[in-house]
Amino acid sequence: MRPAHTRYATTVTAVGEQVPEFIGQGLLIWFAEGAPEELHFFTVLHRPTVTTGGVRPGDLVRIDDKQFRVTAVGDVANENMVNLGHMDLKANGATEAPLPGDICLEELPLPEPRPGTTLVIEGDAAQAEPDR
Amino acid sequence: MAEYKAVRVEAGRGGWGGPLTIKPTDERKLIYSVTGGGIHPVAQRIAELTGGEAFDGFKSSAPFDKIAVAVIDCGGTARVGVYPMKKVPTVDVHATSPAGPLAMFIKEDIFVSGVAPENVKEA
Repeated sequence: MRPAHTRYATTVTAVGEQVPEFIGQGLLIWFAEGAPEELHFFTVLHRPTVTTGGVRPGDLVRIDDKQFRVTAVGDVANENMVNLGHMDLKANGATEAPLPGDICLEELPLPEPRPGTTLVIEGDAAQAEPDR
Repeated sequence: MAEYKAVRVEAGRGGWGGPLTIKPTDERKLIYSVTGGGIHPVAQRIAELTGGEAFDGFKSSAPFDKIAVAVIDCGGTARVGVYPMKKVPTVDVHATSPAGPLAMFIKEDIFVSGVAPENVKEA
């Protein structure tokens, strides 16, 4: 096992009122603080500390003590994540991303983030170069 | 009173929806760019051709009723639906089709995707 490389790390600052409903559909939408207000109602807002990017299938997403294997990454997902702190996490187990912004995860129940919740995405250090 | 011109925005390669005709007014003059890295070239071109005001939605916020058009770089789930839901004409620079939790609001007469600067023409 080669050392893990942190591709993204952040802490939740606020959670929109419709986030639980979206979790029911296996979906968690994230934007960095500073996103326009009209996006807040369905969004997990956060303040990132690592924004390297380069997320790819096989990486691990940790949300507090829960972990999810990445199964597919859409063509614009890394760009959105690095530029806007924006992620569409979908726990659908898809091996091909249905939409270009998707980061698909194993099909497991998603936790409900709270202010202070941490998200870390780790991958193989040998593949640390951002794939964009 | 400023003078505004109309533009026609067509779907680009692999895109969906439209064409939309965008003409700002004094009340709705913002060309609202909700994109990474500042004002997107598509928003810049719409602003130049119409005389509308290019506005960076990630720098400050604006009420929906001031927005002539929203330009987004959405990957298909979230932003694609929010602006159509609020009846704001929406241009996605990525080639997305109706999807996501707000898909029911995404119609041809309010949404167009896959748009590059060359898909924006004087009407």
